[in-house]
Amino acid sequence: MRRMLAGLVAAALALVAEARGQAGVEAAQARRLVVMVDERGFESWPGLHALEREFEARYPGLDVQMVEQSGAVGQQDKSRFMLAGDLQLDVTRIDVTEFGAFLAEGALVDLEPYFAADATWNADEYLPVIDGLRDARGHLYGLTSTFTPYVMYFNRDLLRAAGVPEPRAGWTWDELLDACRKTTRDTDGNGRVDQYGISLTQWLQAVTPWIWQSGGDLLDEKLERSRLHEPEAVRALQFVRALLHTERVASFDASFEVTYSQGLFQAGRAAFYGPVGYWETYRFKYIDSFEWDVAPLPRGEREATAIAMTAYVVPRTSREPQLAYEMVRALAGREFQGLLARIGNGAPGLRAAAESTDFLDPVRPPQSEHVFLDVLPTARFMPPLANWRKIQDLCAAELSQILLAPECDVAATCASMSRKVDEHLARERERASRSRLPSRTVEASFTLAIVAALALWLSTRASKRGRLGQLEDRAAYRLLAPWAIGAAVFFLGPAAATIALSLSEWSPLRPLDDARWIGLENYARLAADPTFAASVRATLLYALLSVPIGLVLALALALLLRDDDRWSGVTRTIVYAPSILSPVVVAILWRFVLDPDQGLLNEQLARLGLPTPAWTRDASAVLPAFVAMSCWSVGAQMLVFLAALKALDPSLEDAARVDGAGWWRRLFHVTLPQLSPVVLFNLLIGMLGAFQVFAQPYLLTQGGPGDATRFVVLYLYESGFRHLDMGYASAIAWVLFAFLALATLLVVRASRRWVHYAARRT
Amino acid sequence: MNHGPGLRLWRRIAMALVAYAFLAPLVYLLSVSLHAEGRGLGGSLLEAAGDPRWENYPAALARMGDWGRLFANTLLVTVLCVAGQLLTCSLAGYAFARIDFRGRDALFALVLATMMLPEQATSIPRFLLFRGLGLVDTYGPLTLPAVLGGSPFFVFLFRQYFLALGAELGDAARIDGCSHLRAWWSIFLPLARPMLVTVGIFTFLAAWNDLWTPLIYLMSPEKSTLTLALASFNRSYNTAVELMMAASAVVLAPCLLVYFLLQRLFLRGIEVAASKH
Repeated sequence: MRRMLAGLVAAALALVAEARGQAGVEAAQARRLVVMVDERGFESWPGLHALEREFEARYPGLDVQMVEQSGAVGQQDKSRFMLAGDLQLDVTRIDVTEFGAFLAEGALVDLEPYFAADATWNADEYLPVIDGLRDARGHLYGLTSTFTPYVMYFNRDLLRAAGVPEPRAGWTWDELLDACRKTTRDTDGNGRVDQYGISLTQWLQAVTPWIWQSGGDLLDEKLERSRLHEPEAVRALQFVRALLHTERVASFDASFEVTYSQGLFQAGRAAFYGPVGYWETYRFKYIDSFEWDVAPLPRGEREATAIAMTAYVVPRTSREPQLAYEMVRALAGREFQGLLARIGNGAPGLRAAAESTDFLDPVRPPQSEHVFLDVLPTARFMPPLANWRKIQDLCAAELSQILLAPECDVAATCASMSRKVDEHLARERERASRSRLPSRTVEASFTLAIVAALALWLSTRASKRGRLGQLEDRAAYRLLAPWAIGAAVFFLGPAAATIALSLSEWSPLRPLDDARWIGLENYARLAADPTFAASVRATLLYALLSVPIGLVLALALALLLRDDDRWSGVTRTIVYAPSILSPVVVAILWRFVLDPDQGLLNEQLARLGLPTPAWTRDASAVLPAFVAMSCWSVGAQMLVFLAALKALDPSLEDAARVDGAGWWRRLFHVTLPQLSPVVLFNLLIGMLGAFQVFAQPYLLTQGGPGDATRFVVLYLYESGFRHLDMGYASAIAWVLFAFLALATLLVVRASRRWVHYAARRT
Repeated sequence: MNHGPGLRLWRRIAMALVAYAFLAPLVYLLSVSLHAEGRGLGGSLLEAAGDPRWENYPAALARMGDWGRLFANTLLVTVLCVAGQLLTCSLAGYAFARIDFRGRDALFALVLATMMLPEQATSIPRFLLFRGLGLVDTYGPLTLPAVLGGSPFFVFLFRQYFLALGAELGDAARIDGCSHLRAWWSIFLPLARPMLVTVGIFTFLAAWNDLWTPLIYLMSPEKSTLTLALASFNRSYNTAVELMMAASAVVLAPCLLVYFLLQRLFLRGIEVAASKH
């Protein structure tokens, strides 16, 4: 075994040397251009590689690095880290709703001078959507990748069958309502509607067009106060709510994904679907059972729609801004824009590409692609806020209440939504006036923690002990050194740094020195944050379900499989096998197992004639689904129980049997007391795991439906990386820490009553 | 144990049900990985066996890019982590178990406590640290915390194991003037084979399956790891379910292999840890 270990070390060193050699070759190249744009679909990579080759040929000695933003959901995580760490990143692709945040944090290079110096630049070659990338002075910071206005999809066959005219430009809310009434049907006569007039989308950006159409707005012109409580906005939301609850011509889904509303249309069970963007064509092109097309949104008081867009920008961490500018031009150039349009990623921002057959494809559906260009004059961007995503998440609870709750006072709910937004905007304004953290506080707390640990170590060393004791101490410290150094530097230090961060306000888009001191405010905000309360509830519920169920299941399996015959051996291996899988594989797999329409679980349940819940889409079924998932990985706990069962003293059980004790009595009075230390061990490990669950909700549900799976660590992650509020995220971490430490202490304390350490074989 | 024939039958039935429940999702994975293009999910578990599309596997590998390179990278990271973790954790576990030194329990409690802070919170300070050390886009951040830091949980396991070996062991050698380092290397490590395998397998799985760390720290595509390449499948999953399942099967195969090969020793290590508290 030692030889094997030595072999492992030698192999590792050899591999490192080999890797270093390669790194040396790479370091020799002087200039690099780091590009992380990662368009959707594998089909875009040939185009990106062509650009890479083109640049390397044009600038000898230049190394263009096309970095993939792989990552299951958090595609933007990586650029956050790169900006926080001031790493070279020359071109990246952002969503236009993030533009305000990047601009406010000073995270972008102003490209205006580069455009001005470029004789080939002509802004008229682009559709006016690029204006969404200008700051208040009109300076341009990037170019459009693709965009899409929100439109209405419709099922031509259903409309024709109901004798409803197809929507055309300028159609109205009343016409929509009328068409919906005529197409809503109970086709199989069971008394329940199964074909809807419209399948509605629900996120803030998709709801906003209704508000604009009725003459209202989200915010005032200075972007300082919410207008969501005003009569126009209330009227718009009342109209949408009426479609669902009074007229009952609409279907709507509370889930994290749009797959349900989308699926309804895809299955030919909704006449309209929207407001939604071009991206749906990517999926709908596989529809062959009916004909579909797109139309502008219906008008209320006026015509209006929202635009979604992604753009190429140059982050402040660019080392080659001139080359980065040229890369942005090339990415937004005719060739690559044409490729993106052909893939179906959206409408290109370059006029020549948007008006070519690359986009206006006469064969590929929809027939009326031109609608996406026609509605541009009435289309608007979301307000350029420094923290759009936070606003969106703030409004989510009220929005789903307005749209979903059977009873709801729309005006009052709008008012409460408005208040939350106002409070948030006020806090944002206040930020600039706060004083900065003293320079290098975070680094200092990091160092301080390590120095403190060292001091502790030195002080115990100097304590009075016999000569032999001191020798022993010294020997122990030597052996512990590698591990202790690592633990201090990689675990203790960062932990201390998050204490400093939790007392400050800091966006990872900014340099660390720009953190603002806010004292205990993050903790005070936590106490009043309803989303945090919801996430605590969800986590507690999940832990209370999954930990005991997991323990009992693991113990039952261990008792079932404790014998040493072949059957038990094989079954043991099978039960442990899932614990080997990476969380990524588990999430991918369970996403399909739990798929409500085609998944394995519902297929099996249906075969047995059992009810088939919508699992990940149903707020009341999603936690049981997560518990089932955690039970599937119960193998490790089972192994610990099995091992402990093997180490039991068989004479005790035999004696009880001779005395005539039945199976249950033997279990409760002989076996379990002997197992109690292992039960405690599994309980503690299970608790730690349940309270820190992250990968599954992150990869599977992103917290939905509603807040049902927004567990504490997921909310922490969202606060830090989505809302760009690292201070808040750090505060959540420390609250969770305090809770876990306390809970562990209590469990260990209480366990003294039921854990028996006697009567074991050594 | 002596069961009646009736009881034995019931146990067998229960085992079959358990095996079915735990195996079904895995069989499902394999079955979907052999589906024809565009067929998606659905169909019974073994339906795909009628017309298996083995060509999905080469196609999935091709999509992952230079998969030989990915495999070699993942292996390098994993081997480094396993070797480092075994050395540091067994050393520390030995010190905690066999040497009575001042501040022992306080130190241990402190480090156990760091396990309770979610890594998503400490990831930014740690990133800034590695950035300061100039180690971004190297394997340093993926391996150093395991090589030097070592999980307190594994230190705990080694400590339990060395405690279980009995107080007398090593005393004779110590009296003969043998240093602790020597005693660790030549007396205790050879006896700790089952625990080395247990911790080795745990580390192997953790390193092989890690997504978050490579996602954040690796920039150059040629340094990417298997799990990272697999994660990019998850994003555009609508397009090719069968290829994604095939890729998943390829990534998890080595883990299953390592577990099957070392299963017996792995269980022994857990057994010793569970029997002593």
